[in-house]
Amino acid sequence: MENIISIKDVTYTYPDSEAPAIKNLSLDIHSNEWLSIVGKNGSGKSTLTKLIDGLIECDSGTIEIAGQIINEENIWEAREKIGIIFQNPDHQFVGATVEDDVAFGLENQGVPRDKMVKEVNEALKMVDMQEYKTRDPQSLSGGQKQRVAIAGVLATKPQIIIMDESTSMLDPNGRKTVLDLIKRLRHEQNMTIISITHDIEETQLSERIVVLNDGQVVKDDEPKSIYDLGPELTNFGLEEPFSSQVASSLRDTIKLPEGYLNEEELIDNVWKSFSKM
Amino acid sequence: MEIIFKNVTHSYEANNPLAALGLDDVSVDIKNKKFTAIIGKTGSGKSTLVRHINALLKPTSGTITVGNREITPDTNNKNLKPLRKNVGMVFQFPESQLFEDTVEKDIMFGPMNFGVSEEDAKLAAHDMIKLVGLDEKYLSKSPFDLSGGQMRRVAIAGVLATHPETIILDEPTAGLDPVGRKEIMDLFKNLQSEGKTVILITHNMDDVANYADEVIVMHDGRKVAEGTPMEVFNNQKLLRDDMLTLPQSAIFAQKLSKKYFKFDQLPITISDLSTEIKRQINGD
Repeated sequence: MENIISIKDVTYTYPDSEAPAIKNLSLDIHSNEWLSIVGKNGSGKSTLTKLIDGLIECDSGTIEIAGQIINEENIWEAREKIGIIFQNPDHQFVGATVEDDVAFGLENQGVPRDKMVKEVNEALKMVDMQEYKTRDPQSLSGGQKQRVAIAGVLATKPQIIIMDESTSMLDPNGRKTVLDLIKRLRHEQNMTIISITHDIEETQLSERIVVLNDGQVVKDDEPKSIYDLGPELTNFGLEEPFSSQVASSLRDTIKLPEGYLNEEELIDNVWKSFSKM
Repeated sequence: MEIIFKNVTHSYEANNPLAALGLDDVSVDIKNKKFTAIIGKTGSGKSTLVRHINALLKPTSGTITVGNREITPDTNNKNLKPLRKNVGMVFQFPESQLFEDTVEKDIMFGPMNFGVSEEDAKLAAHDMIKLVGLDEKYLSKSPFDLSGGQMRRVAIAGVLATHPETIILDEPTAGLDPVGRKEIMDLFKNLQSEGKTVILITHNMDDVANYADEVIVMHDGRKVAEGTPMEVFNNQKLLRDDMLTLPQSAIFAQKLSKKYFKFDQLPITISDLSTEIKRQINGD
């Protein structure tokens, strides 16, 4: 599989800090993959994001994005390939209207006006927000704001989207809308999704989970194997999946297969044990 | 303190009769020393509602009674200090309100602002930092050197340091990891058992099921339901009208009831769910 991001032996220590926030970390992220990065508050998730986006520079090691090792000269070019959606949509708005806001990133890249209008419209269409074009972003709901923020990111046509806890402030409906949108965009636009999250249910959408602890990768596996860690997951800032918690509470009465069961598998097994009674 | 809303309407644009209302004729009773959750979609009026309790917002019409204090459209901004001392408010991302150069000074700011001596404020800071689960050694650190979860605790300690009788929490755990979230939620539950009234705005229905005594459901600026978590999550009308999302255990029970199982009342916690599944399987 082709790597869109390749991190090799990266270390980073914040100024005025003694311990490194990221320690000799290596990680390959494949093209078009949906990767979850999890870990406790303070495990290095946000630092890693900043390193990938070139907001801070590694003390040692290299980061390669789409085949190019990033350095001071090419960082702007590399950054155009990456779009970040942050946690709090309120902190991301600069424009007086939705369309101004979506245009902001393109203006920064010096895109000519007629092309910009077209691309803003396309981006708003992708997130199904074209009818809100002339509205003040502050008048929108949380989920709508986050969709506008995503349109702003999409307009710049990134290959990689980093979601930095971008659904944690949303109500359940807003969260669902955003996640459905990301799912669709990944397939239609062939994007790579990196999702930083504490939400175990959200990690079920991804193909791979990387667990960070103290600035290092401590686990790197498919979701099912990570969920098999059971109660140990809380050491890494995750909850046990809901279906695992229910399964544990039933095992003294109902015979269930070993290991992680998703919700459907659990329901099937509970039905089976009922029909046998 | 009992908090009573009587026919409270709030318009963000009082001069525009067509503007949408922040609150639309809300009457509700928030019970003394209970843990009350306020739920509803983004924009449903939850934050607008609680901002009336310490008069950060004033009603366009109607009254709010907080203990022996009455807030009306004519309430002026003088003499609000006793009210605000009694009603502590923790906003979303409270860490953005930290500004002093040490954690100690930050926690001391609230009490001193309400006229407590420096000495007593210092004592309060030492008590509160332990209460929120941080070591006293953090008092001398800069709040900006702390992790997000630690900063949040310091901000909560600052609110608690004025010893409010009522604590209002506006999504206090957003962005915390699950372990941090549980610690903070347990802290609030403890404060309630020590006699405080706790009001929590949240989108997390499992927290509502696990911690709240009472629930208020808001929709388009109106109060559409109130009751215990069990009553509210079994309110068929709210579910039909899409004004409510359910805790995970209730959703699981709904799926399970497609075959063999039947739930007269949807269970809302994992332990209720598991007890009920076992009861039905054992056929008693």
